[in-house]
Amino acid sequence: MRYLDFKKFSIYYDPYLIISITLLSILGLFFLYSASDGNAAVLIKQSIFVFFGLILMIVLSQPDPQIYYSYSGFFLLISIILVFVAIFFGPEINGANRWISFGFVTLQPSELCKIFLPIFIASYLYGVKLPINLKNTFLTIFLILVVFLIVSSQPDLGTAIVILLSGLYVLFLAGLSWTFIGSALAIFVISLPFLWNNFLEPFQRQRIATLFNPDLDPFGSAWNITQSKIAIGSGGIFGKGFGEGTQSHLNFLPETETDFIFAVIAEEFGLIGLTILIGLYFFIFIRCFYLSINARDRFCRLVIGGLSLVFISTLFINIGMVIGLLPVVGMPLPLISQGGSSLISFYIAFGIIISMASHKKLVPR
Amino acid sequence: MTEINETYKEKISFNKRLIFLYVTFGILGVVFYYQIFNLQISNYSEYEIAAENNKNEEISVQPLRGIIFDRNGEILVNNIPTFDLITKPFFIDDPDDFLLKLSSFLEIDEEDKKVFLSQFKKAKTLNKELTLKQSISDEDKAKFLVRSHMFENAYVGERYLRNYLYPEIFSHSIGYVGRPNDDELDEIYEKRSLNKKINFTYTNQLIIGKTGLEFTYEDILTGEFGNNLREVDARGRTLDEKISSEPKVGNNLYTSLDLKSHQAAHKAFNNRKGAVVAIDIKDGSIVTLFSSPTFPTNQLANGILQKDFDELLLSEEKPFFNRALKGRYPPASSIKPAIAMYGIEEGLIDWDFSIFDEGFFTLPEDGRIYRDWKEGGHGDTNLFKAITQSSNTYFFDLAYRSDINQLNKHLSSLGFGGKACIDCFEEDKVFVPEPSWKMNKHNFGWFKGDTVNMGVGQGYLVSTPIQLAKYAYIMANKGKFSDLSLKKDLVKSEKSIEFNKFSNDDWFKLHESMVNVIEGNTGTARRLRERKNYIVAAKTGTAELVSGDNREQYSETRLDDSLRDHALIIAFGPMPNPRYAVSVVVENGESGGSVAGPVAISVLNSLIQE
Repeated sequence: MRYLDFKKFSIYYDPYLIISITLLSILGLFFLYSASDGNAAVLIKQSIFVFFGLILMIVLSQPDPQIYYSYSGFFLLISIILVFVAIFFGPEINGANRWISFGFVTLQPSELCKIFLPIFIASYLYGVKLPINLKNTFLTIFLILVVFLIVSSQPDLGTAIVILLSGLYVLFLAGLSWTFIGSALAIFVISLPFLWNNFLEPFQRQRIATLFNPDLDPFGSAWNITQSKIAIGSGGIFGKGFGEGTQSHLNFLPETETDFIFAVIAEEFGLIGLTILIGLYFFIFIRCFYLSINARDRFCRLVIGGLSLVFISTLFINIGMVIGLLPVVGMPLPLISQGGSSLISFYIAFGIIISMASHKKLVPR
Repeated sequence: MTEINETYKEKISFNKRLIFLYVTFGILGVVFYYQIFNLQISNYSEYEIAAENNKNEEISVQPLRGIIFDRNGEILVNNIPTFDLITKPFFIDDPDDFLLKLSSFLEIDEEDKKVFLSQFKKAKTLNKELTLKQSISDEDKAKFLVRSHMFENAYVGERYLRNYLYPEIFSHSIGYVGRPNDDELDEIYEKRSLNKKINFTYTNQLIIGKTGLEFTYEDILTGEFGNNLREVDARGRTLDEKISSEPKVGNNLYTSLDLKSHQAAHKAFNNRKGAVVAIDIKDGSIVTLFSSPTFPTNQLANGILQKDFDELLLSEEKPFFNRALKGRYPPASSIKPAIAMYGIEEGLIDWDFSIFDEGFFTLPEDGRIYRDWKEGGHGDTNLFKAITQSSNTYFFDLAYRSDINQLNKHLSSLGFGGKACIDCFEEDKVFVPEPSWKMNKHNFGWFKGDTVNMGVGQGYLVSTPIQLAKYAYIMANKGKFSDLSLKKDLVKSEKSIEFNKFSNDDWFKLHESMVNVIEGNTGTARRLRERKNYIVAAKTGTAELVSGDNREQYSETRLDDSLRDHALIIAFGPMPNPRYAVSVVVENGESGGSVAGPVAISVLNSLIQE
C-alpha cells in the first residue's frame, strides 16, 4: 500500500509498475519509429496514445477497488454494447467489423472485454462460496462463451481467444475443481476434429498446418513465418542496428508496425535487445505476481491475477507466433505494437491493478 | 474461526494455482527463449545468409535483338534508342500525389496513369521499377531533368525500340515483335532461366518475335541474357550493382530478301489484294515474298491504339492475311505446262500431236460441255500453240485421257500440295485433290469431269502463290530444285525430278513455248513485251471464281468486284539462262496477262536490271 499524502487527498501508485510500464512504453515508441520506416505521423499518434494512456493509468489507480466491484457489471455491459455497435455500424476493414471510427481515431471495443469480463467474473465470485460449485461454474462458463462468440463473429479470433482465456483464468484461480478441468479438457480434445471442420476458416486451418510443416506452402502462409525467422535469426547477438534491418525495411517482413514488431526488434537489436525487453516484461510479471499474492481480498486477488495473466498471454501468443511456434493469429506485442486500442486497454488494466494493490482495506473488527 | 480458516485455505489454494499458471508460463518462456537462442545464435549464419540473399538479388539483363539485313546488306530492321520515364515505386509513398506532382509539368496519358496505378502495389512490394511513360520527347526529357532533384523516385532511362525501316513492305515476310502472353512468358522465364527481376533494354520490356522471320529465327535474334548482382541497403537504395555476365547481343539475320524487288512489288500492287513470290534459281532462296495489302509493323511492335488495331483486324481487305503463303487460288491456265509435261512423260501427247479446237470439249460420258475462253476455238492446235494461246480444249482432251492418280503424283512432285519453304511462317500446304479426298469431303465419287477441270487448273485444284513460284522455279531450272528458304546461305541439298520420257529437248521446247507467251505475236501476254529489255518465259492464268454456264451469266458476275476472276502469272527469266522465277496473283484482277503480268515484270526488272 503506497500513497502520497497531501493532507486533503492522496495519490495512489505503485512505483515498480509505473516505472517499468513507462520505460516499456518509451522503448516501444523507439522501436515503432524504426518499424514504421521512420514514419513521423505513426510515431506522433502513438506518442499521444502513450501519453494519455499513462495519465489514464494513474487516474484509474485512484478510485477504491470497491468502485470497480460495484460497477463491474456496468462496465462489461458497455463494452459488449460497443462491440455490437462495431459489428452493426462500424466500418468494414478487410472483411471484419471490429472498429468504431471517431474520425481521427478508430478504436476496437473488443479489447475492453478482455479487461472487464474477468473483473465482472471476479466480482460475481466475490459473493459466492468458494471453491466454486457446479452451478456457478456453468453460469460463468456460459457468460464467457457468449462474449467469446460475439467477438469471434466480428471476426476476430485473436482477441476472442484472449477473452476466453481471461475468463477461464479467473475461474481457475477461484478454485475450479480439477475433475471438472480434466473432463472439460477431455471433451475439448474429442471435439477437436469437429471444431477444426466447422469452426475454423480455411485460411486458419492452413496457418495451423503450415506451422507443423512449413515446406507445405513456402510462398503462401508460411512465407511470413519464414521471413520472420530470417529476420530474427539474422539479428544475431547484437542486431543490425537501429533502422538497419533489411528484412524489416525491404518489405520481406509483413506487418512490421503491429504483429511482427518483435521480429523487427530482434533483427535490429539482436539477442541482447530481446533479453532486455523480455527482462522488462518479466519484471512486470513478477511484480504482478507479488501484488496479487498480497492483495487485500479475494476480489482484488482474482482481478490482479486475471488481468496480469491476460497481459502475459497476449505477449506469449504474439512472440510464439513470430518465432514460429504458434499459428499466425492477429495479436499485438503488448505496450509496443502500433494501435491505440490494445495500448489503452492495457493501461486501463494496469490502472485497475495499481488501484487494487495500493488501497488498503479497512479491516473490520 | 472457521471463517478465518476458510479464508486462509482459499488463499493457499489461490496462491498454488497462481504459481501453477506462472510456472507454466515460465516453462513456456524457457522454450520460447530457447527457440530465440536457436534462431539468433545456433543458426545465426544460416539466417544471415538467407537475409543477405534476400537483399542481394540476381537480375537478368535483356540483350538487344540482332539486326535483319536484306541480301545486299541493306538494313531492314534495327534497334533505335529512345527515352522512357521510369519510376521506383518503392520510394513512392502516395502514387496519386506522385502523379499529380509530375502532371504539373508533364503531360501523362490517362491510360499510362491507369496502368501505373494498377501495377504500383506489386512493384512497390517487390522493389521493382515501373515505366510510366514511354518514348518521351526531348522537351519532356529536359523538363524532367531540371526538376530531377525533386524526384529521387524516378529517372529518365535509355531504352530501345525495335525499328522496322520499311514497315509497310516487309510486314508479312519479316513480321514483328511484341510482348509475350502469359504462357509464352512462363516459357521464356524457364527456357532462358531468367530471374524475377529484369533490367529491360527495350521500352516494351520483354519482346519476342510474333510472326514472320522475327518468329522463325527468334532463337538466333534474341541473344543471351546477362546477369547483374544488385545489393540494396535497408532503405532499398541500390548500393552496388555488379555485372556477373554481360548480355550477348543477338546474332544478325542475313536474309535472301531483296529490298528493291519488294519496293517494286509494293508499288506495282498499289494496295490491290494479292501476292508475289520471286525465287533465286541459283539456290532456291526467296528474294521476294510480298502479300498485299500490308500493315504497319512499327505500330504493332511498339504500340498501336486498340481502335487502329481493330480497324486492321476487321478490315475486309484482311491485311494480316499472308496471301503469299496462305492464299488459296486455283492455278488456272498456269497449270498447263505441268499437264503438258505429264502428257509427254506418259506418252499421251508429243509436240507434233494436234487436235482441232472448235471452242469446247464434250465429255463423252454424259455430253457435258467444257468451254474454251475463246469463242469458236483455236482451230488446229498442237502443244506449242496450246501453251502460247492457252487453249483449254487441248488440255481438256489431254486431262480426259489422264489417270488421276498418276497426274496427282506428278503435280505433287512439282510442289503442289506440299510445303514449299523451310523457314516461312505458317505456310499453308493445301492439297492436291484425290478421289478419296472428294469422297470424304463431298461424299461423292471422282468424276472424269473433275479430272478434265484439273487440266486447266480449275475445279478442286488450289495452290498458294509460293507453290506457284516453286513450280515456276522447278520448270526454269529443268527439274532440279532445292527447298525454298528466306535465310541467306542456308545449306540445302539439291533435288531433282526423275523423268523417263521427258527429255532435255522437251524442256527446251517447253521453255520456247512459254517464251512465246510474251514474245510471240499470238501469246496471251504479248503486251508485256515492251516493258523489259530481256526475254522472259511465262504462263498466264485467269482463275474463275464462279463458273457460268453461258456468257451472259459470266458477264453478270463480272459486275461484282469480289467475284471477278483472279489474275495469275508465273514467269522466269532472263532466257535462255533464267536467274529468277516469279509468281503473281492479283485477286479479282481478271486477266492474268494484262494485270498480273506487269507486276511480275516490274519485280523481275528490279531483280535483273540492277
